[in-house]
Amino acid sequence: MRIEITRAGPLATVQDAGRHGHFADGISASGPMDARGFARAGDLAATSATAGLEITMAGIAFTYTGEALKAGFSGGLFTLAINGQAKPWDAAHSLADGDKVEIKPGPLGNYGYIRFAAELDVPKVIGSRATNLIVGLGGFEGRALRKGDALALIPAKPRKPQPASPPAANEGPIRFIWGIDADQFDRKTLNAFTASSFTISTKLDRMGVRLTDGQGVFSTARILSLVSDAIVPGDIQILGDGTPIILMRDHQPTGGYPRIATLISADLDRFAQLRPGTHVQFAPVTVPHAQALLKETR
Amino acid sequence: MDDLRPTLMPLGDSALLVRFDRRLDMRANGAAISLARQLGANPPNGVGEIVPNLVSVLIRYDPGVTNFATLAGDLRLVLFGLGADADANAGAHHVVQVRFGGSEGPDIEEVASSLDMSVADFIAAHNANPLRVLTTGFAPGFVYCGLHDEALHLPRRQDVRAKVPPGTILFAAGQTAIAATAIPTGWHVIGQTGFRNFDATKTPPTKLHAGDTIRFEAVS
Repeated sequence: MRIEITRAGPLATVQDAGRHGHFADGISASGPMDARGFARAGDLAATSATAGLEITMAGIAFTYTGEALKAGFSGGLFTLAINGQAKPWDAAHSLADGDKVEIKPGPLGNYGYIRFAAELDVPKVIGSRATNLIVGLGGFEGRALRKGDALALIPAKPRKPQPASPPAANEGPIRFIWGIDADQFDRKTLNAFTASSFTISTKLDRMGVRLTDGQGVFSTARILSLVSDAIVPGDIQILGDGTPIILMRDHQPTGGYPRIATLISADLDRFAQLRPGTHVQFAPVTVPHAQALLKETR
Repeated sequence: MDDLRPTLMPLGDSALLVRFDRRLDMRANGAAISLARQLGANPPNGVGEIVPNLVSVLIRYDPGVTNFATLAGDLRLVLFGLGADADANAGAHHVVQVRFGGSEGPDIEEVASSLDMSVADFIAAHNANPLRVLTTGFAPGFVYCGLHDEALHLPRRQDVRAKVPPGTILFAAGQTAIAATAIPTGWHVIGQTGFRNFDATKTPPTKLHAGDTIRFEAVS
């Protein structure tokens, strides 16, 4: 069993649940930008395989070779065709030998996932098959997929079909917990941060998402360089020129710009799927509230 | 520990940060290393990862197993009994051989003259005392070592080099750093080592830990 990439959008990568536990080695965990979308694709494929493909807005096309194989497609809303025939996204489909799978842009989201009822045969590196693009580690040769790449699939145990976790609600402000450097900002800036609207810029990737600060919340803030400290995904860091950047799955493990806030885990996937030009507002919650929301989504 | 006042704060909903100071200070650094070491030997329930930083410790936990208040309670007990300096230097000892200067250390003459020293005197002063691995984690296998005597403190360069190769020895802010992968840097480039603190084929992929001691040795 194998797939051969016939068209690759930018930054399509192999991901699994992530390479956790290696911050001290200087490696962030990577893993899917939309972990729930990734899990849902796996539920749909009813597979115990750990790795899958993450694609970006432009989609991907590949040819499948091998015996009949179930595949789950989820995350965002893309346009899917198999051998030229339109198929529903956010669904499972059976692939047959020679099938041409074409995924084109759809109306929603930045990231889509394809999981197979077989394991993508890329080596585990430091315990994971996830691609870390900042380091060039894991996945397929440590890099994004390109046209002509061929990935073998090896048998994986099927999993009992289970109801796929529903897609995350897509409404309301993105919630956060005040950050470890919130005390570096004055009251006026903190208030303006929660009262203002920001825009997702076109500068977004697996490392971080830059926001456009149209209302100038941070234009006059004095940004100091701090003793560098640990970063976690969802940290909102304010750069020296006042640009807010939300650090994502391939973030640098440490940083010295002030962190005003950290997005809650329950909203991080939803945030990752917001397209450039989307207006976004942020609302503070308590740690217990964030943890209760996380339990609901699990 | 007596005059260090650690602050426990949430870093999102699945991590807690214990911060000992807002400035880089050897005692705060030592306390962070000691705390991480003690927690590593006896991790509280629900803790997944313990990472010492320059003056803080990151503790990642599973909010399905524990929560911030419970974990903070566990940590306060450990913090009461923490002996900072005694434990901080209890790590392994390493010798790192460095080719100083030349094309691999193009900033060394500027560094030495900024410090009113000859290059030979600078190298001797740089290698005079073993340094502590203050922290790791900025990039794969990257380590910060310090602190040097005040006489060797120098700010970073004005401009950033887009890329220096693995093994580059960097110098700034009272510290010497060792790059294990190609990285951009605003630090002074003073030499090159054959030692590589990152091997992706090994688990764990790095050899040096915060709290280890490094003696730099000049080779030609």
